[in-house]
Amino acid sequence: MLRFVLNEAGRLFLGLFGAALMAAAVAALSVPHAADGLAYFLVAWGGRINDLIHLRFGESVISGLPIIAELAARLPLTLGLVIEGVIVAALVGIPIGFLFGAGPARRAAAPLIQIVAAAPVFCAGLVLAYGAASLLHWPVPINGGVSIVLFPQNATQAQAMVLPALTVGLAGAAAVQLALRRSAAEAGQQSWRFYLRRMGLPSWDVERNYVMPQIFAGLLASLGEVMLALLSAAAVAEWVFSCRGAADLFVKSVALHDWSATAAVLFVFAGLTLVAQFVGQCGARLLTSAGPAR
Amino acid sequence: MRSRRLLDIKDLRVSRASTIELDGVSLTLDAGEALVILGDGSSGKDALLRIIGNFSDRGQEATGTIQFGDGEARPAHKRGRSNLRTTYLASARVAPLNPHVSVVSQLTRVVANGLGVPGSSASEDLRLALERLAPALPFAALSKKSGEMRDDELAWAMLAAAVAQTPDLLIADHAFSGLTPTAVAALAGALADAQKRQGFGLAYFAEALQTAAHLRCRTIVLRQGKVIEEGDFEKLAGGQSHAYTKTLFKALPRLSEVTALRGNSRGEPLLQVQGLDLSPRGKKPSSASDAISFELRRGAALALVGEEGSGRRALVRALLGLQRFARGRVVLDQVDMGILSAAMTSRLRRRIAFVTGSDAALDPRMTLWDTVDEPLRAHLHLPRDMIAGYRETALKRVGLASHAAGSVVATLSGFDKRRLQVARAIVSAPFLCVIDEPLRGLDAFAQSIMIELLTELRKQEGPAFLLITADMRVAQALADDAIIFKQGKLVERGPLAEIMRAPKDDETKKLLAAAAPSRGPEPPAAPATIAAKPASQQAPVSPDELDPPILLDEPIADESAVTESPG
Amino acid sequence: MNPAPPAATGAQSLRTSLRILGWTGLGLIAVAVSLSDFLASAPPDAAAIGPLMLPPTEAFKFGTDILGRDMLSETLHGLSVTLRLAVPAALIALLFGTLFGSVAARTPVMVSLSLRWLLGILAALPALLLAILLIGLTARGWASLAAGLSAAPLGFVRSFDRASLQAHAVHTEYARATGISSATLLRRDLVYEFSGTLSTSAARALAAVTIILSTTSFLGFGAEPPHRDLGLMIAAAKTYYLHAWWTAAFPALTLMILILFARLAAGLDEGERP
Repeated sequence: MLRFVLNEAGRLFLGLFGAALMAAAVAALSVPHAADGLAYFLVAWGGRINDLIHLRFGESVISGLPIIAELAARLPLTLGLVIEGVIVAALVGIPIGFLFGAGPARRAAAPLIQIVAAAPVFCAGLVLAYGAASLLHWPVPINGGVSIVLFPQNATQAQAMVLPALTVGLAGAAAVQLALRRSAAEAGQQSWRFYLRRMGLPSWDVERNYVMPQIFAGLLASLGEVMLALLSAAAVAEWVFSCRGAADLFVKSVALHDWSATAAVLFVFAGLTLVAQFVGQCGARLLTSAGPAR
Repeated sequence: MRSRRLLDIKDLRVSRASTIELDGVSLTLDAGEALVILGDGSSGKDALLRIIGNFSDRGQEATGTIQFGDGEARPAHKRGRSNLRTTYLASARVAPLNPHVSVVSQLTRVVANGLGVPGSSASEDLRLALERLAPALPFAALSKKSGEMRDDELAWAMLAAAVAQTPDLLIADHAFSGLTPTAVAALAGALADAQKRQGFGLAYFAEALQTAAHLRCRTIVLRQGKVIEEGDFEKLAGGQSHAYTKTLFKALPRLSEVTALRGNSRGEPLLQVQGLDLSPRGKKPSSASDAISFELRRGAALALVGEEGSGRRALVRALLGLQRFARGRVVLDQVDMGILSAAMTSRLRRRIAFVTGSDAALDPRMTLWDTVDEPLRAHLHLPRDMIAGYRETALKRVGLASHAAGSVVATLSGFDKRRLQVARAIVSAPFLCVIDEPLRGLDAFAQSIMIELLTELRKQEGPAFLLITADMRVAQALADDAIIFKQGKLVERGPLAEIMRAPKDDETKKLLAAAAPSRGPEPPAAPATIAAKPASQQAPVSPDELDPPILLDEPIADESAVTESPG
Repeated sequence: MNPAPPAATGAQSLRTSLRILGWTGLGLIAVAVSLSDFLASAPPDAAAIGPLMLPPTEAFKFGTDILGRDMLSETLHGLSVTLRLAVPAALIALLFGTLFGSVAARTPVMVSLSLRWLLGILAALPALLLAILLIGLTARGWASLAAGLSAAPLGFVRSFDRASLQAHAVHTEYARATGISSATLLRRDLVYEFSGTLSTSAARALAAVTIILSTTSFLGFGAEPPHRDLGLMIAAAKTYYLHAWWTAAFPALTLMILILFARLAAGLDEGERP
């Protein structure tokens, strides 16, 4: 186990290192004349790497604030959305994944799930907003009017927070149920399920102690993919519901060619995915090798 | 005093969809009695196993009656609780345990469930059972995962778990299939001893006769759902009445009376090995006497015989340049392999063919035709019509010409895959054929056909054979000379006839004895050791199930270990 | 080379039926798009065709929008633009993702590991953000290329990992031991992995890039007026769709149907993800 964790930690480190280099390359574009030729670009890149080592991240073109401060102000909202999304994803995606993970239910559910999953995130967000406005008469922050805050102070703010969280969560749920169903399908093909039952272990014993850990391990191993889905959905949700999060900063930075801010957000997002992958892989390994309690 | 009746099946008929699996089978089994049920894949023995084991199967319909122990006879289609403590012993080669969890954890759970005791108690029972059955295998070895254990070690562990549950009835489902003859002999002996000691009934289901030859008990032969033969093994081996049973016993190579020496003086030397030292690099070189030297001439056949882990495959990997060696020289086709570049080595290897007992040796994605075509297309760049001609000839020779061109390798049976390897070898026109446990996992008839095909290959294409096997009968059928290995060292060598007539080393004697089970009761045996008898006292041998061959040193993934799919 | 047909089982026949349904749907969409100039009653972006913000009626089956444009015609034109952007993007994703991944796995060790590392980092970024970045670095006119390149890393990683498994499989070792070259082994991968699953990969790539393109357009980075794609139409409707649901609903439904057919064509196995 230790060797595995060290191996994965090495991969995480290499990934973060690569992400930092990539971010520095993007940030180098903000240096004057960096795009004039390869040599200029390499010099600018080297400069940005040096800045990174010395923890100098520059200022945002949008607000004029240091990028670190800008990120510190906006990132919590994005992370909050992602965490809320994880909760919704777990509450919705895990039951669907198990219910429709095997047998005839899986075959019947697959087309239906495809129909639901065919909706792009922004469409899902708009549908949720329409439903909230028309049926529940909630104030909807589609075109401004209601600000989204991480810690709502009143009912209006709380209602406004629900929609982006739900949008992100449903996208995450799609990824979670896919990972679970894939994992359940793999576990269903294992010969040892059949032989352990023949050796006398009750079905529920085999499923609980051996199959479920494997299925959950499959979900954990896909944590990186789930995180990708959540971050992507968060970017869209922030735009749809006018949230001033890190993804919104990214979109505006690209539009205004603020490459330093763009690079910072990119690095953070890549880092989140890589860390999720690392945690997921280690968790999966731990779950499968721990075995059932005696 | 009549033993307690454990099983009484009357007029059992089992069908699934429109297929009749069993047609009017009746049998009994008493406590302390062993019964071997023999048959191929379509014989219906799997259906009988399900009924005896009380395993559910939604798709089957059953009529007839079944009585377990003192219980009431009930209709076969009704599943009810059996009052017998029944344990099931699977083959180690079908991946019967979760590969991510330790073997001891799972088997302890099985024992605890079977006995209805806590885990700690079950663990102790398992440990004691293992100690009694296989004192050479430490209990700590079971802490590994199943993929990290050798097949024979796993088989011992599973046998210990089955026996630890003090069953009334033990159902063995091809339990020792695919293991080396020595391992089978030891395991079968231990199982027989445990049965005598504990007095349980044993129902052993098998496709081939080797285990039956060791158990030497009442045997039932099933064919197409019917019992075609029943009686003591001795009687069946001596003078079987049914034509099918006769063919079953005759089908496999026997360790026959020693024949005249077959010469090795065929052609020029093809392979010359001088002072080869297989010690890992960086380690202290082994002594000069441990270095390996031998010669293989063109058209000759040399068998490398030994148990798993004896060093045969490491030697072959070194000969083919797949593994580095500390010292020595390998000359193949008059070329020193040590000085060749990777590209030249690759070119030289085009004249080498493999026929192995590993189903994973063929790319499962490829089609039948593509598998045969590939060497012709890749190495010789022949036109399509020529390739088609060679392909057709090769497939006809191995009996695969009637298969659809687009048949994917993954969908072929083990026997078909084996024959496909021979077809691919035929078109390669090799000067050297490496044959690695070619009969593994095949039933009796398939094994005899494989021997014929390989003999024919050698006759027609004339390659030299380098045979890797743990079975002296296969060595005798295919090779002229042999080198016996034990723990990485060469312990005996020479013409096979000479070795069989007068074996010198204990390892040789052990391998010979495992290839020919004695007539009398087997003495209790520790793992990997059995009592050997001189070849002259050995009974006519019975067909074989061989150990899993893997040319590569690393344990391969579960894919190749799974040879049966659950129902 | 002779790729073999799949064996038919109960589940397989359902899968095949849905795949056929998916490809049929895509075919019908392609026909509708090629005939959009005939089927649409108005040219693209033609304002004041009808009353402003009219709900669906007999005359205007999809209603009209805030500029009086016929929503049915606009949706057809939008679908045409979406598809014209998505198809080349899907091809780019296929070439630089799936195909490149298969080839990369067979290159010398240092090269393959370096490529895997580099593309792995790119795959750690959401494809949408990568597409936005690429469009920002180039121009909106390069949206198709950007979408294709942003979907490629994930396809590359999956294809590479699959090919790597094959490269280290037992049968590959035996093949090398008999002198089969890397080029021949690569040909096996291309025939049996790539071309054998080409239609599946293409459909999957189409679904993925359609989502990326429509989302980037929604965010203001994709198609530009007057060549509005479905994403841009929905973005324009965002301001008032709460009161005029049809202005966003029909383009959104059309987009979902396109994505659904592409996903069905890709098959129902666990590659449901984009």
